[in-house]
Amino acid sequence: MSNIKDKFYYPVLVMVIITAIFTFILAWLNDITEEVIALNEETELRRKILYVFNIDVPSDEPEDIERVFNEHVKTQEVGDETIYYMEEDGEVVAYAFPVDGIALWGSLSAYVGISADYSELLGLEFIRHSETPGLGGRIDEAWFKEQFRGLDLTEGQEGEYVIYKPAIGGNVDAIAGATQTSNAVRDIINKGIYDFISQGRSDT
Amino acid sequence: MAGGNYKKIFKDGIWNDNPIFRQVIGICSTLAVTNLMMNSLIMGLAVIFTIAFSELTVSIIRKFTPRHVRMIVQVLIISVYVIIVDIFLKAYYPEMSKALGPYVGLIITNCILMGRCEGFAQNNPPIRSFLDGIASGLGYTFILLAVSFIRELFGFGSIFGIKVLGDWWTNWTIMVMPPSAFFILGVIVWWARSKTEEKEKEKEGGRALS
Repeated sequence: MSNIKDKFYYPVLVMVIITAIFTFILAWLNDITEEVIALNEETELRRKILYVFNIDVPSDEPEDIERVFNEHVKTQEVGDETIYYMEEDGEVVAYAFPVDGIALWGSLSAYVGISADYSELLGLEFIRHSETPGLGGRIDEAWFKEQFRGLDLTEGQEGEYVIYKPAIGGNVDAIAGATQTSNAVRDIINKGIYDFISQGRSDT
Repeated sequence: MAGGNYKKIFKDGIWNDNPIFRQVIGICSTLAVTNLMMNSLIMGLAVIFTIAFSELTVSIIRKFTPRHVRMIVQVLIISVYVIIVDIFLKAYYPEMSKALGPYVGLIITNCILMGRCEGFAQNNPPIRSFLDGIASGLGYTFILLAVSFIRELFGFGSIFGIKVLGDWWTNWTIMVMPPSAFFILGVIVWWARSKTEEKEKEKEGGRALS
């Protein structure tokens, strides 16, 4: 034993063996949890899309969310992004599409839902952002997101759909103490909707 | 070395040699994840798990590990357990995984782990090392919970997400932001040090800073 330890290749040998063992353990763990993690992420996204369309979910169970999602929502790949749409009696009644941009601390991405005739903003849900918890992070709170439901998009001039109160034509409250985040969110949503409508990305 | 006074290990880890206020290591995550008590608790449990099993593993293979690559081996072992925690949270507690964000992965860089593996597990038998890991982790967790208790109470008016202060309470934004942890941690270190001031004169050891 003390012999082999003196050899120059001993450390290399030990490192190779140890690394191999631990890598195998991790690979195995990764393999058995892969499906669960993928399901979690999918469920999370489905829940958010349903929220955008304002569809109630009966429970937090992944199966329930999937069932409701499949009942109401259809998916379409446009370019490299995914657009969701809701059908009633064979007719498309609403779209949900991704918007993204730069907020105060980093990139922000969200899904915005609008009615098929582009007249109404149905809902909004944030997928990812890195705003300050308790300040800009409050965009995740229900009271903020709920304000966007039912906004009239026909009055919007040149992409000014969302306007913070108390400005003229204001329709949504910004978050006190988080002006920059609020403004970024407004701009991202306005630009996203404007682009979506003007480019007619909804060709189905 | 053998035999061992287990009570002393716990007393050292939690109070006499508490990683945060005695050794002042592992500060970064203390500042980052203490805005909610739930986050702190999960973070603390993750660190206890990682540190205990890392020390156990390091201790078991310490006789075979060549001296000059021992640190690489330690980092490797720590990373493995951190990744296990990360996968576990992602699979079974996705909400918590989201809340803690990158800080789970950053447990790897937590000085407490490296410090205990190198300073304790490398020279002690497996069981003692394992217990030392739990003790140090507990010491870390208690401080995290103490800081987050104050931050969540004043910052959100709640404890573990349960509202305890009524609507009349105005949330202190500063408590939600990382700087408040500096102040609270400073006060805790101050308090703890003043408690042990006399002892300190007797034993003066090296202090690491993370």
